[in-house]
Amino acid sequence: MKSFANVNARDAKDAVAKLGQPNAVAVGGGSDLLGMVKEHLVEPDVLVHLKSIRKLDQVSAKAGEVQIGGLITLDTLSREPAIRSRYTVLAEAAESVGTPQIRNAGTLAGNVCQRPWCWYYRNGFPCFKAGGKQCFSITGENQFHAIFGGGPSFIVHPSDTAPALVALDAKFRVTNSDGERTIPAAEFFALPRVDAARENVLAQDEILTAVDLPAARPHTRSTYHKVLDREAWTHAVVSAAIVLEMDQQVCKSARIVLGGVAPIPWRLPKVEAMLAGKPITPELAAQAAEAALEGANPLAKNAYKVPLTKAVVRRTLLSLATKA
Amino acid sequence: MNTLKTVGHPTSRIDAEKRVTGTATYTGDLRLPGMLYARVLRSPHPHARIRRIDLSRAQALPGVKAILTHENCDVIWGSGDMRNKRYLFNDPVRFVGDAVAAVAATDRHTAEEATRLIAVDYEVLPFVLEPEDALKPGAPEIQPGGNLSPTARGAHEPEQYRRGNIDEGLRAADRVFEDQYSSPHINNAQLEPRVAIAQWDGDRLTVHTPTQGISNCHTEIARDLKLAPEKVRIICQFMGGGFGNKNQDHDFELMAAVLAQQAGAPVKIEFTRKEDFLAVHGRWPTKQYYKVGVRNDGTLTAIQLRGYSGMGPYRKGTGGIAGIEIYQCPHVERLVYPTYTNKAVSANLRGPDFPQGVFGIESLMDDVAYALKMDPVEFRLKNMTRKLNDQIPYTSIGLEDCIRRGAEAFEWRKRWHAPGEGSGPVKRGAGMAMGSFSSSMGRSSAVIDLDARGTYHLHVGVTDIGTGAKTTMALIAAEELGVPLEKIDVIWGDTDRCPFSVGESGSRTTTQTGWAVVEAAKDLKRQMAEKGLPQGNQLLTATVNANPAPLTGQARYSFVAHFAEVEVDTETGHVRVTKYVAAHDSGRIVNPLTAESQVKGGATMGIGMALHEELLYDRASGQPLNAGYYGARILTHLDTPEVDVLWIQTEDPYGPFGAKTLGEPTIIPSPASVGNAIHNAIGKRVNDLPITREKILGVLA
Amino acid sequence: MSKISRRRFVEGTGAGLVATTVPLQGQTAKAAAAVPHTTVKLTVNGTVHRLDVEDRWTLAEVLRDHLGLTGSKIGCDRGECGACTVLLDGKNVYSCSQLAVWADGRTVQTVEGLAQNGKLDPLQEAFIEHDGPQCGFCTSGQLMSAKALLNHNPHPTTDEVRAGMTGNICRCGNYNHYVESVLAAAATLAADSRRKA
Repeated sequence: MKSFANVNARDAKDAVAKLGQPNAVAVGGGSDLLGMVKEHLVEPDVLVHLKSIRKLDQVSAKAGEVQIGGLITLDTLSREPAIRSRYTVLAEAAESVGTPQIRNAGTLAGNVCQRPWCWYYRNGFPCFKAGGKQCFSITGENQFHAIFGGGPSFIVHPSDTAPALVALDAKFRVTNSDGERTIPAAEFFALPRVDAARENVLAQDEILTAVDLPAARPHTRSTYHKVLDREAWTHAVVSAAIVLEMDQQVCKSARIVLGGVAPIPWRLPKVEAMLAGKPITPELAAQAAEAALEGANPLAKNAYKVPLTKAVVRRTLLSLATKA
Repeated sequence: MNTLKTVGHPTSRIDAEKRVTGTATYTGDLRLPGMLYARVLRSPHPHARIRRIDLSRAQALPGVKAILTHENCDVIWGSGDMRNKRYLFNDPVRFVGDAVAAVAATDRHTAEEATRLIAVDYEVLPFVLEPEDALKPGAPEIQPGGNLSPTARGAHEPEQYRRGNIDEGLRAADRVFEDQYSSPHINNAQLEPRVAIAQWDGDRLTVHTPTQGISNCHTEIARDLKLAPEKVRIICQFMGGGFGNKNQDHDFELMAAVLAQQAGAPVKIEFTRKEDFLAVHGRWPTKQYYKVGVRNDGTLTAIQLRGYSGMGPYRKGTGGIAGIEIYQCPHVERLVYPTYTNKAVSANLRGPDFPQGVFGIESLMDDVAYALKMDPVEFRLKNMTRKLNDQIPYTSIGLEDCIRRGAEAFEWRKRWHAPGEGSGPVKRGAGMAMGSFSSSMGRSSAVIDLDARGTYHLHVGVTDIGTGAKTTMALIAAEELGVPLEKIDVIWGDTDRCPFSVGESGSRTTTQTGWAVVEAAKDLKRQMAEKGLPQGNQLLTATVNANPAPLTGQARYSFVAHFAEVEVDTETGHVRVTKYVAAHDSGRIVNPLTAESQVKGGATMGIGMALHEELLYDRASGQPLNAGYYGARILTHLDTPEVDVLWIQTEDPYGPFGAKTLGEPTIIPSPASVGNAIHNAIGKRVNDLPITREKILGVLA
Repeated sequence: MSKISRRRFVEGTGAGLVATTVPLQGQTAKAAAAVPHTTVKLTVNGTVHRLDVEDRWTLAEVLRDHLGLTGSKIGCDRGECGACTVLLDGKNVYSCSQLAVWADGRTVQTVEGLAQNGKLDPLQEAFIEHDGPQCGFCTSGQLMSAKALLNHNPHPTTDEVRAGMTGNICRCGNYNHYVESVLAAAATLAADSRRKA
C-alpha cells in the first residue's frame, strides 16, 4: 500500500482543518477506503481519521426529533431500539449492508458517501467517476447499472441507508471551515448531469457529521426491501425504502425511494401522490408499481431491472400496508 | 460389506486441533531471517508487445534488491504450457495479468511501490476473447501456428473420440434433439492466495509453497531451474486449498527462487487475491453443441458433441469436455477444440472436464426425457452407462443405486412434476443429474518406520489440501497394521522426509498413496514376523514404491447422482436451493466424517457454479471486471442449503479396502442438477451458465 | 502525485484518477524513505503491546508479521472473505480492513486467544468434532465470527448462525459443518451454565 500519514481528528472542526492539508482524505470505518487505497484508486498522503471524534457515534432525541451521529456504526444503528421501532426503514437498511464485520466497522456517513461500486470505476478505468470523460458501461457490461437518471455516467448509487434517509426526509448536517450547514437528504445527492465525477453536493472542505430525522408521525410504518445478487454481501440490485403514514386502511401519505436503479436514491413523487388518501389494495399496489417504472430507460443488459423493480415496489408496498 | 476396525468409522482429523487453534503453519505464516518480499508487475493489456522496460526508477528505490524481467530471466516454466515455451516473463504478453516483472525488496510495500515505478512501453496488439472468434480467419494469432491448440502429437486438429458411426446412429433415431450450451471461466478461489518462500543454502534450494503435490513440485522445479533433483527440497506443512490450481510447480515459486539467488537472501513472494484470480488459472469456459438421437421408447442411438474450450493463451489444461460417457449409446462422436484466447489461463478446477460438460449433456437429456414423456429418473436408469464406453466392464458400479436410492431419499416422486407446473409467482422444481470419474490405480509410495516404543512413523508425500489425507493415510495404516490410530505418527509434506507421492489431483491420494500404505504395512508385518520387534534405537523400516499394473479389460470408476430442489421466484428471478441429496458410489468410505465434508463442499461449489460464478470481461478492452470473492459471488453461509449425503458403498476388489475416488465427483452433477431443477420449476431452460437472475427473468419475459 | 479532492466525507473520498494501465508517476525514492509511523498501544489476547507501526500497516499485518500471531489469515485483503476476522473490543471485524493505528488503545482477540489455560473453547472442540475445517484457511475467521455471535446471542437459531457468520467465506464449502459446530457449542455452553447455576 502507498504510504500515508494517519491523523486523528479531535472534533469535526479539527477534521475539516486537517483536511486542508495537501492530498488529505477523510476516513470513517475504512473498510471501503482502504480497499481503494490498496487498489490505487485513491492515493492519499494523509488520512484524517474521524472515528477518534467523540460523541459523533450516538443517537440523541430532542423534541421528538432524532439526531444520529455520522460515525455511528451500521451495526449499532441497526440495533438501536428507537430506530428499529420508529424508523424501521433505516434500521433495516443498515442491517442489509455487507456483512457483520463490515457493519461493525462501517459508519452511517461512510455508507451514505461511499463511492460507486461500478466495476469499471473499481477496476481503474478512466471513467467519469475517476475524473475521465467516458462511461464505459454504456456499451459494456451494464447489467447492474442505472435504468433511471443515467447520463453521462450510468452508475447506481451504492448506499442502502441513503434511500432510507431520503424516504425519512432526513436532514444532513455538514461541517465546513465556516461552521455547519444543513442540507435536506433529497438535495444532498447529485445526478451525474450536475456533476459526473461525484455523487453528492459536499463542497471541497465539507464533511457529513450527523443526520437529523424529523419526529416520527403517529401511525407511520416503514421498511427497506433489498434484492441482492447472492444472499449476503452485495450492493442492492434493486431496493425500495418505503414510509407509509396510515389511517386505518387508508394511506395518508407515502414516501417511496428506490436504490440500485439510479445514480442517486430515486424518489417516486408521482407514485407517492397516487397512493395518498387511498386504501392500498393489490390493484393499487400494482398500478403504483407500473407507474414507478414509467420513464425507465434500461441499457442493453439491465432491462430485467424493470420487471424486478415493479415486483419489489408492488410487494413491498402491499406487505407494509397490510402489516399487522 | 464387512465392517473394519478403524477404516469406515467417522474420525476427527489428526491435525484438527492445530487447525482450530491457529497453530497450523501455512506457508504465508513463515518468516525466515533476512527474508525479502517479492511482488509481480503484470500486463494491463490483453495482448501487447513490450517495446521497452525502464527499471531505473525502481532500481533507485531504497530497499529494492532484485528485479526480473523477460530481458534478464529466460527461465521456462514447463508446467505453464504443455505445447509452447512459456517463460516466466513473456514477450508478447497475452492476457491481462501476464507477468512482466518481479521485484524483491526489504518489505512488501517497497516491493509493490517498486513495481509501480517500472515504466513499460507497450505496443498494444489486437486481442480475441472467445474461442469461436479466435478460430475465425483473420483472428489475432496468439501462439505461433494458430489459435487451435495442437494435440499432444502436434496436429492442429480437434481432440476426437468416436465409436460406432454417428450418421448411422442419427439415421436410426426416431427423433433427433439439438441444442447448445455454454459455461464461463470461473476461478478456483481457494482461500489461501499464492505465496512461496525460496531459500538457497549454497547450491541447494528449499521452497516452502502451498502445493497439492510436493513430488510434482520437486521434479518440476528441478527441471525448470536445471537443478539436480537432490538439490531441491519442497516443504508444505499446511495449505489452504487449491481445487486443482496448485498441482504443478508454478511461476511464482520459480520467480522466488531466481530472485533469492540474485538477491542472496530468502524471498517470500505474495500474490494479491486479484492476481490469484487473474494470473493463475480457472475452469475453462466452453461452448457445446449437441445432437442426440433417440428412439420413441427412450433408447439412445446417437450422441454428437462439438465443443470449444477457451484455454487462455497458454495450454495448461486439457480443455476436455466430459459427460457423454455416462450414457450407453452405440454411436458417439466428440470433437473438442481447445483454443487460445486472450483471457485468463484455463486449467484444472475440481473435475476439470466434467461439471460444465455434464451441465450440457444432462440439460439436453432432461429435455429429451420430457419430450418423450418419460420421468428423468427412469430415462437415466434406462440409458445410464453399464460398461465404460459400452465396452469395458467396471470393477464395481453403484450408479443405479445412486439414482434409485438417491431419488428415494430425495422423495423424487413427490417433488418432481411436469415442467413449469404450479401456480403462484414462487415455483418449486426438482432436478437430477449423474456422473462418473476414473478411479484407476497407479504409482505412489509410502515408508513406515516402527520404533522400539511401538510407534509407527508413516512417511507419505501428501500435503492434505483439505481432504483429510493425513488422517486417511493414518486410518489405512492403522487398519492394515491392526493397531490403534494413536500409534500412527504421520510425517508429510517434505520431500526430504517423504517418498514420492502422486499429487493430490485427480482425486488419487486415497486410492494410490493409500494403496502404497497398505503395501508398506503388509511388508512391515512380514518383517516383524521374521525379525521380531525393534529394540533400543533400532527401527524396522518398510519402504514401498507401489506401482500396480494397470487394469486390463476392466475400468475402475466412481459414480454419483445429485438431486436438487429449488424455489424460483418468477417475478424477481431469485433462486434458492431448498433440498439437496448427493448419492455417491466411491466404494468403501475410509473416513465418513471428512468424506461427508468433501461431498457437501463439492455440491456447494457446484451450486455456486450453477447460479453465480463467472469471470466477466469487458469486450471492448479485454479487461476482466469482477475478479475476487465479491465479484464472483462465491456462496456464503446464507446461500448454502443443507446437503444430505448418501453413501452407496460398492464392494470393489481393488484399492485400499475397496476405496474409490471421491473429491472431484462431488461437484460433477451439481450445476446440472440445479439447472434441471430450475427448468422443472419454471418450464423454461437457461442454457448458459451461470443461471443468473437476469437470464431467468429473460427467459420468462 | 495524483490529485485527490478532499471534499467528501469518510469512505472513498476523492476521485483518484488512476488507470491500471498507467503506472503511478512521481513517487520518489525520498518519499519512500520517510514513511510515517506511530507508536500505538494494543491489548492483544490480554497482553499489552506498545509498538511502533507504519501508519499504513493493517491490523492483520501487524498481528501476523510483528506480533507473530499468524492464526488470522489474509485471504483477500479487501474485506471480502473473512479469513482475517478478529474481535476488536468484542466485535468481529476484518483485520485486513483496519489500520493498526486505528486500534490504538483498543482490545483485540485473535484465534490464539480463544483457548483459556490450555483448555480449548467449546467452539474449538465442536469444530473438531463436527469437522468444521477442511483446508482450514478460513477456520480462524469462522471461529472469531462464531465467538462474536455467541457473545451477544448465546442461543442462536440455525438461521441466526448463518447470518452471523455470513461474512466468512469457506471455499471448501463446509458451511453445513460450521453451522452444526456453532449450534453444538452453543448447546454445550448452555449446559455448562445450567450446571454452574
